[in-house]
Amino acid sequence: MKKVKIATDWLGGCAGCHMSFLDIDERVVKLMDAVEFTSSPVTDLKHPPEDGVTVGILEGAICNSHNVEVAKRMRERCQILIAVGDCATFGGVPAMRNLVGTEAALKRAYLETESVVEGVIPDSPELGKPLETVTGVDKVVKVDLFIPGCPPRADAFFYALSELLAGRTPVVLPPELFTYD
Amino acid sequence: MEMAKITINGQAVSAPAGTTILQAARQAKIDIPTLCDHPALRPAGSCRICVVEVKGQRVLQTACTFPITGGMEILTESPRVVGARKLILDLLFSERNHYCPYCEMSGSCELQSLGYRYGINHWVYPTYLNPFPVDASHRYLLMEHNRCVLCGRCFRACGELVANHTLGLRQRGARSMIHADLGLPWGESTCVSCGTCAQVCPTGTLIDKRSAYMGRNAQMRYVESACSQCSVGCGMKIVTRNDSVLRLEGDWDTKVSGGLLCQKGRFAPLYDGRERVLRPLVRRNGRQEAAGWEEALSVAAEGLRGRKGDLGVLASSNATTEALYLTGRLFKETLKASRIGLLNPAVSEALGKPKGSLADLAGSDLILLAGADPLQDQPVVAFLIKRAVDGGARLVLVDGESNGLAPFASMILAMDGLDQAVQMAERAANPVVLYGAAVPDGAAGVLKRLQKKAAFIALEPGVNTRAAKAFGLAGTFQPSGIKALYLLLGEEAGDGADLAERIDKDAFVVVQSCFASPLTRRADVVLPMAIWSERSGSLTNTEGRTLKVQHAVDPAGEARPDWEILALLAGRLGMKVGASLEDVAASLRK
Repeated sequence: MKKVKIATDWLGGCAGCHMSFLDIDERVVKLMDAVEFTSSPVTDLKHPPEDGVTVGILEGAICNSHNVEVAKRMRERCQILIAVGDCATFGGVPAMRNLVGTEAALKRAYLETESVVEGVIPDSPELGKPLETVTGVDKVVKVDLFIPGCPPRADAFFYALSELLAGRTPVVLPPELFTYD
Repeated sequence: MEMAKITINGQAVSAPAGTTILQAARQAKIDIPTLCDHPALRPAGSCRICVVEVKGQRVLQTACTFPITGGMEILTESPRVVGARKLILDLLFSERNHYCPYCEMSGSCELQSLGYRYGINHWVYPTYLNPFPVDASHRYLLMEHNRCVLCGRCFRACGELVANHTLGLRQRGARSMIHADLGLPWGESTCVSCGTCAQVCPTGTLIDKRSAYMGRNAQMRYVESACSQCSVGCGMKIVTRNDSVLRLEGDWDTKVSGGLLCQKGRFAPLYDGRERVLRPLVRRNGRQEAAGWEEALSVAAEGLRGRKGDLGVLASSNATTEALYLTGRLFKETLKASRIGLLNPAVSEALGKPKGSLADLAGSDLILLAGADPLQDQPVVAFLIKRAVDGGARLVLVDGESNGLAPFASMILAMDGLDQAVQMAERAANPVVLYGAAVPDGAAGVLKRLQKKAAFIALEPGVNTRAAKAFGLAGTFQPSGIKALYLLLGEEAGDGADLAERIDKDAFVVVQSCFASPLTRRADVVLPMAIWSERSGSLTNTEGRTLKVQHAVDPAGEARPDWEILALLAGRLGMKVGASLEDVAASLRK
């Protein structure tokens, strides 16, 4: 049987969801019989293959223009897009800045922090431009499955992928794997 | 009572006509989710999460407010109902900050559990951007408006339960917010810091500062106990984690006050900064030195043995019934002490044992309050009185203008006007008489005229005063002339400096105490005692109910519970008592 291709990427997140994904431990070996991991932030291949993957997984919130690009590229190159973690599903911790506004948050972080000497707000053209509002991934691209959690439990990742591999949709997480924190 | 036969989800249910769908469903153990509903509050129907389908009704109805009639067919989890509940949740989540990972209430939040129940896994509506302020001006509580869903439990509790009317709702629509006194900083408002609002808050809006972020509910232990700060003895749960008391919660199931606590009971004990006595002390060559329990008890026993006419004991009513019983027996029967007294006054015995309960206040049309200031001394009783006044009862105050409840009284009289007050009560339908220690024996005779008609409630000063009186501990005395003095101190405020000054220079003094004070510094033997959260035992409240207090955390240092210290001492002085609380309690029952 042809292996199902999976690509993952992260946006405005902390990598915790990817760590939790890796916590499926030895079950990853079993999973490898059926899937092929292509690109991810923790592998050499960073961008999803141009010929596409079946499942795309995104961690992190939409905080800047770069996040929007990454999310759109993943959406274009995958058939099923999964938003994992509270940031990708709701906005999560980065969305705290919505309560003060992006400008105030940048000032506080880069200019007014007690340890700062001659602070500068980074504005290199290589960096994504911070957005006014932090949102979940679904506010930018269509999301097919949401797995909230901070981070989602490793079992939730394994459960969702197992269900998809078995062709059972929509995936409904059992209560013990459905969590906001 | 007329019963209505209805069906809920096809199941036949019979409940009294006029009860709400929610009540009928609960009786039949059918679960309908709620958010603004609280068992102690009147239904408000404000959150809409309990909507159900009622056959024949055009729109969904709130189960918490809709009364049942015979033949009604109700669906509580139909696709239409579930769809509506999801919409309501999506709308609730569309405003303010409902991110769980950085909320203190995560794990015990009722909004969160509804999100789980209906699978809310992303925000449907655009991200909300208008922050609300956070009011941190209150000494004990935090008001985080951004977590609020405007269910109204807090201001309903403030009005309906505590009758304080500090909290309310202001503005309209998306700008609506709860407020204290129309927008004053909470800490400067008329709030009486009873904490009921925070206890009913379903989200992380009103949270206890002291215990915030100290753990999830699942990690905590709830110990059922009773408050021992005044003679009401409200039922409470001591919330602990890792042998530390985090906070106190009123017990909704208690008969005493139905879940209410006050500042004195809920917060003050946790902010008590007094220095504890942590190990026994014995005076050697004029200096107090640390000693073991064995030595301290031996020195105490030797100093008290055979003193009879020279011996006196003063006890605090803060002690457990078991300790007061042992005190009474040890000093009266075994040691034949000449003076036995209580550190606080008590109500007149001229009226006998009062046969009323605080619950009588609810149905009363006239409350005669004489010689007591419950707002100061038994605040929860003041809440219940104010509640009755809100409901139309008249308060006739026989005490004076300075009484805390004076603003709520329809008439204020001095003690010599008691006769006039009694005449008014005689004309009322359901009068309740509350009387305190400031009613002299003579005036009690006037109140007796109401005994056939009115419910009588004594408001005992102190805590376990009724039990103390039952064991012959009553009245106070001057310690001058007493050559061997035993002091069973409590946790009440005041450092006892005046009492310490009046003790004879050559007197042998044993002090059993939780806290260091001029009295412990004067003592020849200091026996360290456990505080309210560290002891088990019973109390008799001012209504005469027996209440259990439970050990929730281990005593600090080498402190021991009050009754245990007395049992150990009694054993050394030849009195036969057991070593366990059960033994003492069994002996007490005899």
